[in-house]
Amino acid sequence: MIRVFSAIIVMLALSTAMMGCTQEGDAVYTVRLSPPDMIEQLKLKQIDGYVAWEPFVSKGVKSGGKILLSSNEIWNSHPCCVVAYSEDFSDDRAVRDVVWAHIKATEFINRPENREKVIEYAAEFTGLSRETVSKALDNIKFIEYPEEEKFRTYFRFLGDSKLLKKSINELGFNNEDEFFSSFFRRDIYEEVKKELEKNPNYVPDKYDGSIRIGYLTADLHHLALFVAQKEGYFEEIGMKNIVFKQYPNGVAVMDAFRAGEIDIAYLGGAPATLKRVNDDTKIRIVAGVNNEGSAIVVREGINSIKDLRGKTIAIPGYGTVQDFLLRMVAEKEGLKVVAK
Amino acid sequence: MTEDRENLQIRILALSFLIIVWYFVSITGISPLPYPHNVAKTFFSILVNPEPVLGRNLLQHSFWSVIRVLSGASIAFLIAIPAGILTGWHIKLDSLISTVVEIFRPVPPLAWIPLAYLIFTGFSNPVQAAQIFIVFVGAFFPCLLSVREFARSASKELIEMARAFGAGDSEIMRYIIVPSSIPGILSGIRIGLGVGWMSIVAAEMLATSGSGLGYFIMVMYEVGGRAEEIISGIIAIGIIGYIMNEIVLKMEKRLMRWR
Repeated sequence: MIRVFSAIIVMLALSTAMMGCTQEGDAVYTVRLSPPDMIEQLKLKQIDGYVAWEPFVSKGVKSGGKILLSSNEIWNSHPCCVVAYSEDFSDDRAVRDVVWAHIKATEFINRPENREKVIEYAAEFTGLSRETVSKALDNIKFIEYPEEEKFRTYFRFLGDSKLLKKSINELGFNNEDEFFSSFFRRDIYEEVKKELEKNPNYVPDKYDGSIRIGYLTADLHHLALFVAQKEGYFEEIGMKNIVFKQYPNGVAVMDAFRAGEIDIAYLGGAPATLKRVNDDTKIRIVAGVNNEGSAIVVREGINSIKDLRGKTIAIPGYGTVQDFLLRMVAEKEGLKVVAK
Repeated sequence: MTEDRENLQIRILALSFLIIVWYFVSITGISPLPYPHNVAKTFFSILVNPEPVLGRNLLQHSFWSVIRVLSGASIAFLIAIPAGILTGWHIKLDSLISTVVEIFRPVPPLAWIPLAYLIFTGFSNPVQAAQIFIVFVGAFFPCLLSVREFARSASKELIEMARAFGAGDSEIMRYIIVPSSIPGILSGIRIGLGVGWMSIVAAEMLATSGSGLGYFIMVMYEVGGRAEEIISGIIAIGIIGYIMNEIVLKMEKRLMRWR
């Protein structure tokens, strides 16, 4: 009996002692957290900062954090979210119609005279206060098509950090150019854009098939999809059988693509690229959603990138654009970034 | 001796059967499961070499998970064992406590996770505290029940006889109740560690502590294309669970003989 008890006490003492020793070093330590958790843990001082997208930046600032660097200061007009469709979904007309609705909605958002209405939609979509979303909106650049070159830079980062499991050859492409010309499909966007330039009231042929569209829950970047619904763009093209499906993150969207749950989706460019390569989930990017809109948020007392030495910074996932942004600035200052 | 050998043969047979089924699934492409030999290669490589994404090897991840389980489970045992003995012995005390126990016992440890984060907000390391708490909840109830069961089964005649010879409560406790609950204590520890081990892996998946096997598996899944690493993590969980069980079983055997 006494033996058993002393064994348990030794076990307890040993494990508590072990937990006491945490590493102290001169690298920047990263942990993976979901953005809502980041805000909570920053408040609890479990982390010293985080890299996330809007509205989690403005939300974090509201609850005591501060912006160390906006993502556009780190990497000007870096890519973020995109619209992609599954290669199994071969109806180009439907894709074109969604792209049309997306362009219309993005134009709507970017028109200064719509500002009030956009804030209202944004507040409704995210469930945040008007004040928070209006601040957040200033940090997001809503776009119609992404810069492929920026994606290539990001793609090379993934390769350099050993995050890619498959080579381009294994996926059936001879070189990077061939891969990107399949991964990015520009012709649909250009066709719609050309028609719209000729005639701003252009509406493509009606589409009456069914389509399933995925997006991230309350992600302000995906506002264009919400605006398209609210402004009735989908009705204009006769799309009645649309099923909207919400997902918590881009990884889940990519799994939904693979499972054949959705045909087209709004999602982050990072999970799209990572899972396109690693899991060979066949999708093609047909439009851009936004650039920038992320930031490094830190607690009081941290005033420069140099101050991040030995600190713990949360990122939404390894291989995300936010991971890349943190590494970019840290490595410029000679700091190594390692997983905690 | 022959029995041992036969036993071993059956084990090898079971293992080879598993691997054959696994190969069958991979080769036929029923599911995109990686080949066993690829998994074995990955497993042994990341067992000692750091895996590139998180920069840690499997042993390090396992170490942290085990540490959390041991601390959570030890606290649970320190409370559950005396409580089990007391409630097993004292009927009134038992009915007092068992109502509460019976309400909380069926709640799966994972259901406590969100509440645990709220409870430990003020702690210096709330994530760690919450994870330990979840292990505590998982380990506590099976241990308590097992100890109580054996304490209760202490021979009534023996107790009556001891009383007839003028033994007091403390002597009955020391010479009858406690010895008869030792098997319960050991199996309680064994089951408690097992449930605690399952809970910690799940708790690590939900919230991040930056280490642990659950965290490792989750990150591997998110980055994608790493089925070999995920299965390696699962194998590590299985092996550690098995080892913990075996250690306590050995202890059990030895203590029983000693008694």
